[in-house]
Order: sequence, then structure tokens, then C-alpha cells
Amino acid sequence: MASLITCPHCGTRPKEEFSIRGTALGRPHPAVSEEDWHRYVYLRDNPKGRYQEYWHHAAGCRRWLVVDRDNVTHDVFGVTDAATFGRVGE
Amino acid sequence: MTSYRLGNAGSVNRGQPLTFTFDGKNYKGFEGDTLASGLLANDQMLMGRSFKYHRPRGPVTAGSSEPNALMTIGTGARSEPNVRATVAELYNGLTAVSQNRWPSLTFDVGAVNGLLSPMLGAGFYYKTFMWPAALWEKLYEPVIRRAAGLGKLAMQADPDRYEKSWAHCDLLVIGSGPTGLMAALAAGRAGARVILVDEGFRLGGSLLSESASIGGVSPADFAAAMIEELEALPNVTLMPRTTVFGWYDDMVFGAVERVQKHVGTPSPDLPMERLWRIAAKRAILATGSEERPLVFGGNDKPGVMTASAVRTYANRYGVAAGGKIAVFTNGGSGYRTAADLVAAGVDVTAIIDARAQSADAVPDNVRVIRNGAVVSTKGRKRLEALIAERSGFQEQIACDALAMAGGWSPIVHLMCQRGAKPVWSDEAQAFLAPDVGAAFIAAGSAAGQDRISACLKDGATKAVALARELGFAAYEMNIPEVEGEYDPAFAPIWYVPGARDKAFVDFQNDVAVSDLGLAQREGFRHIEHTKRYTTAGMATDQGKLGNVATIGIVAGMRGVSPAAIGTTTFRPFYTPVSFGALAGTSRSEHAAPVRTSPLHDWAKKNGATFVEAGLWHRSAWFPREGEKGWRDSVDREVKNVRRNAGLCDVSTLGKIEIFGKGAAEFLNRIYCNNFLKLPVGKARYGLMLREDGMIFDDGTTSRLSETHYVMTTTTAYAAEVMSHLEFASQTFWPELDVRFVSSTDQWAQMSLAGPKARAIISRVVEDDISDAAFPYLAAKPVTLRGGLKARLFRISFSGELAFELAVPAGYGEAVADALMEAGKDEGICAYGVEALNVLRIEKGFITHNEIDGRTTPDDLGYGRMLAMQKADFIGKRQSSRFGLTAADRMQLVGLKPVEVDKEFMAGAHLLKEGATPSMANDQGWVSSVCHSPTLGHVIGLAMLKSGRERYGEKIVVWDGLRGKEVAAAVCPPVFADPDNRKLQE
Amino acid sequence: MSLTLFHQHVLEDHLSGFEAKANPNHLAAIRRPAIFSVLAHRGHEVFVKSGLASIEGVQVRDCAPGEWLVVSTGLGAVVMENTLAEIAGASVIDQSDGRALLRIHGPNVRRILAKCVAVDLHPDGFAVGTSTNMLCCHVAVNLARSGGDTFEIVVPRSFCGSVFEEIMEMGREFALTAAFADS
Repeated sequence: MASLITCPHCGTRPKEEFSIRGTALGRPHPAVSEEDWHRYVYLRDNPKGRYQEYWHHAAGCRRWLVVDRDNVTHDVFGVTDAATFGRVGE
Repeated sequence: MTSYRLGNAGSVNRGQPLTFTFDGKNYKGFEGDTLASGLLANDQMLMGRSFKYHRPRGPVTAGSSEPNALMTIGTGARSEPNVRATVAELYNGLTAVSQNRWPSLTFDVGAVNGLLSPMLGAGFYYKTFMWPAALWEKLYEPVIRRAAGLGKLAMQADPDRYEKSWAHCDLLVIGSGPTGLMAALAAGRAGARVILVDEGFRLGGSLLSESASIGGVSPADFAAAMIEELEALPNVTLMPRTTVFGWYDDMVFGAVERVQKHVGTPSPDLPMERLWRIAAKRAILATGSEERPLVFGGNDKPGVMTASAVRTYANRYGVAAGGKIAVFTNGGSGYRTAADLVAAGVDVTAIIDARAQSADAVPDNVRVIRNGAVVSTKGRKRLEALIAERSGFQEQIACDALAMAGGWSPIVHLMCQRGAKPVWSDEAQAFLAPDVGAAFIAAGSAAGQDRISACLKDGATKAVALARELGFAAYEMNIPEVEGEYDPAFAPIWYVPGARDKAFVDFQNDVAVSDLGLAQREGFRHIEHTKRYTTAGMATDQGKLGNVATIGIVAGMRGVSPAAIGTTTFRPFYTPVSFGALAGTSRSEHAAPVRTSPLHDWAKKNGATFVEAGLWHRSAWFPREGEKGWRDSVDREVKNVRRNAGLCDVSTLGKIEIFGKGAAEFLNRIYCNNFLKLPVGKARYGLMLREDGMIFDDGTTSRLSETHYVMTTTTAYAAEVMSHLEFASQTFWPELDVRFVSSTDQWAQMSLAGPKARAIISRVVEDDISDAAFPYLAAKPVTLRGGLKARLFRISFSGELAFELAVPAGYGEAVADALMEAGKDEGICAYGVEALNVLRIEKGFITHNEIDGRTTPDDLGYGRMLAMQKADFIGKRQSSRFGLTAADRMQLVGLKPVEVDKEFMAGAHLLKEGATPSMANDQGWVSSVCHSPTLGHVIGLAMLKSGRERYGEKIVVWDGLRGKEVAAAVCPPVFADPDNRKLQE
Repeated sequence: MSLTLFHQHVLEDHLSGFEAKANPNHLAAIRRPAIFSVLAHRGHEVFVKSGLASIEGVQVRDCAPGEWLVVSTGLGAVVMENTLAEIAGASVIDQSDGRALLRIHGPNVRRILAKCVAVDLHPDGFAVGTSTNMLCCHVAVNLARSGGDTFEIVVPRSFCGSVFEEIMEMGREFALTAAFADS
């Protein structure tokens, strides 16, 4: 039926306004090892429980967000703009 | 026919009589009746047949948990099966028919199942119809379905409208009994936004059914006064006829409002039902509790119902459930029922109390059999007598109705729908609501409070606390004095042993105690297994009445506490919800929003046939008189573009405006080819890769100024590309100064292609568009004659000399008309996406048929575009990995049939001559096929292993789906103008 | 050859033949509003925002951090473009043809819009002057409260017919009427 995500820019919105891209991973520096790139492109932990995911507020501000939530209970611990989220390999 | 309507009791409107029919017979009732109370008032106790054994059944309840009294209401397209007569609001002209019987309710051939019932125990179907498996679909299932069934659907489209709506509140109160009314008023007075929802058509819940004195007035009058005050509060919304059926994430509740189910002639301007999504900051579950039936032999005779139902029929509807009513009880509810009946002048023959003693007040002149039990019942279509047993002695007591009081189960379903399990309480002898956090709490009877006074207080106290938590100044409520309430305490008995007749725990699915025993013996011991093996709790009522007894009985058989057995899983929906309500307005042509191009009307008046492309409706081809099929039109359009000129609507292509000092660098990282040095006024074809090295999308990007670009994407990937750019900009390189906005909708864009394109377009555009001034891949703002600002791009998706002209959308139709007029003498025609596709296949241009997520630039012949010397671009690192550069990768080739009259289709696979079709022998597949009017035969684009080395090879096009094989020659993928001479003209 | 080009509103077909008399609940489709996207570049967000606020005769609609739609029913697109061009640190693009402006007004307007959008429009949380992007009838729009009982919706042109029909359907129970309006 519904669930609600509170966008830091737009306020509380139904999940239909968002699309989810999966684990919030920082893109590696172009020069890091083959192995790091392989891990970034292909490998995901798929944890059960607390999880940080990229959500795109496609029907709102169109900002990419990082939603920190529990994928079992759907408890949301925080939603932040992805531009301020940490990056890997730097 | 006896009338069971009681003097002046109840709150039905006797000034408003209603007529209705049941199985073709006319009846009279009153406004405020349910269908069930109306039928009972007319001595119609038999209301249905059970699912499996076709046993005659009457109502067991007076509410939404009803398992038996299911009927089909309405006629024609509006007929609705499986409506519970106990909640269906009576209206004038209502038509109801009984279900699951043939030829009639009173004489049902299927009742022979009842005689065979010793053979038809739990698991009978599993054991009997196991094999041969082939017979399942053809024989067993259809036969079983016909025999065991519920009502039939009307096989016509639903004529009614449905809607969905959101609602928002500080406090949602579910249930409008004593608890809910007090809660709503406490929070409402404090100024909180309150929504009070009740499934009944009158607010008041159990207050409408009980006899007591609250603050000196009857419970019903007390409720009326509360409702009056609530109605006057602007911050309170009252929603009767609305069932909260589900609790979802983030405190969103699903509810369905029956807007016009109680109306004989529905208004076309109102929906039949409305689906609500209620976002609540806090919620109170005030759903009350359900009275449990008792499990004894023959407990399903029409006339046996719960004591609270008997009381509701008497006190609320002014209807006696029978002429001589007996009571079988394990607590105070039975005594209160007897007292209310006696007060209404109904003959109560006996109270059979399972307990040895109790302090409950016995009405005058009513006999009490303590330490007794009902072991059997007599009668066929209606109860005639019961056999009571006490200390081994049996006695027959004549009665035509039996009120059974088996204790209470709090209605906690909603709280258990998100994973929490209800908690067994030895003290309450019931499953209680789990703790699901502070935002959603149970109150009153749903929280195990058993008296009206306690419920009033609990509702008020909890609502005040919640309102204060939300920052409202809520004041403690005065709790009115309640006089004459009874003690509903009970001593549970799960079932009466030694029954000769079946003792049912699940009435609708005909599950008896014996079935539960069989399930235990055969190893289906886990309660979820017991449920599925016996089907207990799996009927449309989802075991609202019987599940607790099932658990209690299984616990007894195993010698453990019900806590050790646990409950089955609770899921939405609490009661059935129609598909109509769930779909809302999203049906037939409104199933999804439609996107129309600014040239839609232009295409329509030019006779276009439209095709759905995503949400877009695009012009597919433009048939003319005399053309026999789409191929004729498409062939003509293609030939005309190659010979003269054609105009195609390409407004649906994604258009993204890109701004900023960092835009050039950004594009250089987004595309795999170079974009840094794209001059102002030029367009460039680009390939975007995914990070894994596969192509993501293609298109052109034009530089309109030093810091302003416009990107075109494919129609299909417009949204994805926009998200991709935003993702890259916001998460990869937030330091780059680049901003985007979609301008897809701003522009009507027309592709004018063909050797005469320049001549035509120069009549409309003021600027010099000669080849010298406006060469291939020029991209500039231009001015139309008359002054309109536009954009012109010299790009081609057909291989012909071509321009794309973009004008503000509102002028699209006018400009397209002007171009058609300007090109009339040149033989211009409109062409659609089918011809566009043929033109591009002839030219070997790729679309998402080829960009299918498995292809690299090199696979498609664009390997030289990969600018590996760039420091970074999306997809760079994975592009060089082993496997993406392997020599035997599938490469794009062209295919021509060896015999020109032979055809093949996209999706076919490629095999070496003589090879048997197998995964190992697979050489590739056909991605795009069309009939080429230019060449006069079918041509195809295909992905073939090491394809570019195999030009000239003969190969088999194997179409396993259609059982076809065609010999084809492998050729380069460009069939028309391979040297691009036309583009440069 | 000089061209005289007729400009067409996207709802031309949807609104033809409609009664001109407006009911209490009424939807007006504005004929030729000027609508521009304004994007602030990095570090210029505050400056651009205050620049926009100082322009007279326009409404500034919030879309996203550093992104606005500037709407006017009085200023023409040319005047608006020139005015906006003076704001340093901003990129500006004309969307007047790419967006339609619908104004819905009336005593039941919130009841109607509750069937179209999921956002709570109660004045405590969505006061006059508030604007934001949101889904309306499955389509991403910008919705603004321009008065107690008045909301304005900026809809992408290609979806406008669909959104308009859906809003009208949701307004049936409150006798919602619709017509073109110049401002």
C-alpha cells in the first residue's frame, strides 16, 4: 500500500516518488586497483538488517539520497543528500 | 411466517420501512437494519450452505466476522458475491440470493457431501486426487471447484467508479465503540487532527448493542451525544462505513470506504467505494473484541449464534433471534443476553453454564443448569432442540435459537500485520496485542479491558497521553458513571468432548475438531501446517471466530499452553477488499497516464495510426486510401523519404539542457568518446556506457554556447539518462559546476529527411542553411520566417540528408503544417516510427534492440569511439577487462536471405549450416528485422560470433518458436549508402 | 514567405465545449503563462534566490535545492527572459511551452487534491506560498498553495491532458468545472 520516506529537501513523501538503486557505495578513484573496481561494479553484501541505499527522489527534487534503514523492519534511521555522503578510494 | 420483530426495541427507524427480496421472495425491513437482521425479523434463519458439506447455515454473528451468511447482492453487472448479510446495510429494493446450493437453498443436492463427511476429513483432497497429475487441471480441479464454492462473479465489467484518496491526521482512532469515541473526543478537544473510522454504517460500535446506563442515558444515546460533539469539531473527521484493513510501513493505514454500497440507485458522480491511505502520526486500536463460539456437537445448526449477536439483534435491531432461546455460556455474557431477552419479552428456556458456580445475576424465572454442557443439537434447517448434559445425565430442551458465549478475543489483527505476533495471556485466556511501539497502541477491549467503564477510561487516558506527546494541550476527560454493566469474565472451555455430531471450529470451511485431531496424528503439528492441512482459518473470514478455538484445541490435544502453539500469520486484508477499490481510477484506458506529443493532433489529422511506446502514444504510420495494410504504408513512406522527403515527429526523444563551466568535462566523463573539444554550434553522436563497459544509451549532444549543451536521448531511456546524469553529478563529481533540467516537453521536434529536405526547410527558416553555412552536424538556434525562435540540428537517423527542427511545443502543429505545405510540391509525406525503424535498419543504425545491455561499443562497430586515453569516463575501467575484448564476441552484422522471397524475424538464432540447434552451437541472434523497400527483400541486423570476419558466409537463421529455418548471407550492417554520401550533400 | 503561426494550448481539445460558468470548485487553465526554469550554480544558491525574490510580478516556485520555476501570468516570456538573464550565477531556460499552469480553487479543493497527491496540504504544514515538486495523478508536477483555497499546479505538457482528466474525475463529486483563463 504505502511507505513514507522523509526527503531532507521536500519532506515526507510516499515511496512511489522514489526509485532505489541499491547499496550506497562511493565510486572508486579511476586509478585504484582492478580488484577494487571489480568489487565496486559487481560485488554486493546484500545484508539483512541495517543498510544504506541510494534512493532517487525522482518525482520531487530529483536529488540522490542515502537512506539509512533496516530492510527487515523498515525502520528509517536517517536520510541524507548523497552529495554529502562519503566516497571510497579517496 | 412469524414476525420476530420486537415491540419498540432497538434503533432501527420504524418510520422508514424498506422492501427487499431474498431468493426471489419479498420481505420487509426498516432503515437501520442489516440484511441479516431484516431476514431474521421475517423468520428467515437459513441463510446459506457451508463450503464443503453444504450444511444448512444461519448467521453466527451480527458483524464482520460472519462465516456463514454469505450472499450475492445486486443484479447484473452490479451483482456482488460473498457479501456478509450481517454487515450489508438494508436499502429499498435490495436483491439478495443465496449461494453454494443447487437447485435451491432449502433443497441442495450437494448436501450429499454431508452424508459422505466421514470420508471427507482433512486432507481428503490431497490424498484422493493425487494422481495421475494430468487429471488435476482437466478433471479434479474443475469438479471440486464446482462442488465446493462461494458465490459467482458477474462476468460483466463493473459499471461503477472507484477512487483512492490520502488522508493525514495526528491521531487515527480505529473503532467507534466506548473506547474509540472517548479517545477521539479527548484528542479532538485538544485540537489534534483526528480521524475516527468504523466499519459499521452507524458509529457507536458495541454501545449500540449493550444495555446499561452511561451517565444516566442508554449506551446508544450516550454514543449519539458523543458523536454530535465530534461532528461539531472541525479538526475531527468521522468515517463510518470504512474498514481499516491494513497497517503498513511508516504508520500508513489502508482503509476502504463503502460510499454507495447502501444505495439502491448509485450516483454516477460518486464512487462506489473509496480506498484510503491514512498517514497517521499516532493511532489507537479500539476495535473491541470478538465473542468466541463454543465448540460442541451440532454447533452449526441455523439458530446457534454468539450471545453478543443475539443481544445485538435484540437491542440494536429490535429482532428476536428466535421464539424460545437457550443460552450456553462460560461467562457473564450469556447471563446478560438472557436478561436482555427477558426484558424484551422473549422466552429464555434455559441457561446452560459450563461453570460450577458464578455470581452472575440470573433473570427471574430462568432455569440455570450449572456444570452443564450442550452435547448435541436437533433440527435440520433450523434448531429445534438441544441435548444438555450434566453429571452424565442428558436432557432435551426445546429451543429455536441458542446463544453461545465462549469468552472474548481482543481484535488485534491490525497490530500483527507487520511481523509482531500476539501474546498469549493466561490471565485473560486470550491472545493480546503485541507491543509495536509508542505510535500505535491498543486501548479498551482490544487491549483486554473488559467493561464499558474501563474502556471509556482507557480510551480517554491513552488519547490524552498521545495528544500531549504530539504537543497538544489535552485535558483529562470526565469519565461518566456506568450503571448496570455486567462482568464479562469467563472460564474458557475449548470444546465439549464426546460429541456424536461434528463440532465445528471453522464454520465456513467445515473444519471440525476431528479434523484437527487427524492433522495432529498425521504429523501436521505446527499450527501453520495444521491450518493448511485442515483449511481452518483459510476461508473468506480468515478464521476470525475459529482460530483461537483451533489453537486452544490443538494445545489441549498436545497438552501444552496456547502460548506454545502460537498463532498463524496475520496479513492484510482484515476483511475482503474489492479489486475495484484497489484499482481506483487506474483501469482500462486510464490504467497509466498517457503522454502525448505536441504533434499528436497534427499526426491525427494526417491519419496516423498510433502505437504505445512506454507512456507515449507515437504515430506509427500514416495509411492512405487504397493501402491494404501497414506494410503498404510503411513501404511508401520509406521510398518517399529516400526519393523526396518525409516529416517525422521525434518530439518524444529526451532532451536535457546542460549548463555550467564544468559541463564539457562532465560530458567527457559521461560519454566514452571525446566531448571536450566539441565546437559551439555543432552536434556530436555519443555513446554512454554503464560502469561495466556495456552501452547504456546513445544520442547526440549539441553545444549551443560555451557553457550550454542540449543532449538528446532515446525515447525509451530519457528518464534513465536524466537520472544517470544526476547520479553522476551528485554522487561522483559534485565538485563539477554542471546543472541539468529536462526540456523534453518544451519542444516539438520534427525530423525532415530526404534529398529535398533542405529545399523545403529553407522556405520556413530565415537563416542560411546551405551546406557551407549549415554543414552536417551543425546545431544552432534559428529564426523561422515570421520571427519564431527555434533550434535546428543537421542530424540524420535515416542516412538521408536530414534536419531536426525544434520549435516551442505550442507552435508544433502550426510549424508541421507549414512544412507540409512548403513541401507539397516536393512530394513531402508524413512518416511514422515504423518507417523510421526501416530507414535506420537499412542504414545500420542501432537502437535498444542492439543496445541490449550485453553489447560494447566494439561489438556494434563503434570501437574506435572508445577514448581510452581519457583519464576517466564511466565504463572505462571495465572496458579493458578480459572478455570485453575477446575475439569471439558477438559482433553486429547484416543479414540478407539467400533466396530473396524468404523472410525471417527478430529473435531468431543463428547456426552454422548443418549444425543441430543447441546452446553449444549457437552462433548469435537476430536483433532487428524489416522488409526493405529499397532493396526489395527482408534485411536484418544480427549479433554474430566474430561477425565482422564472416561477411559472405552462409548461415542458418533458426526460429525455434515459429519452427522456421531460412538460409541467409552475412554482410556488413549498412545496407544503404555505406559511404555516407547522402549525409554530406 | 512569412509565416503566421497559431499557438495551441495543450488542453484545447479537452476544454472545448465546456460551460463557461464556473462552479464554486473550479479549475482554470492559464492560456499563456511565462514559465522559466532557473538553476543556480554552485555557491550562488542564496544570491540567485534573493535575486528571484526581488522580481515583481512573478511567482517563484521551489523545485529543488538551487532550482526554481519562475511563473508569471502578467509578464511575457521575452520580458521574463531578459529580467532573469540579469541574475548572475544562474542558468535560465524557457519552459513556457513545456509546462501547463492549472489553478484549482474552491471550498473542496483539498478534498479533491487528496485524491491526486499524497502530500498533506493542511495549512499548518503547507501554508500559502509553499511550493514543491510532487507526484500528482502519477505525474511529477510542481504544486503551490497560492491562497487558502487555491492551489496552482505546473504540469509537464505531454502529461497535461492525462492529469487534467484525472483531476476533473476526482472533482466530479464536488461539481468541479474547468475553463481557460488569461491570468
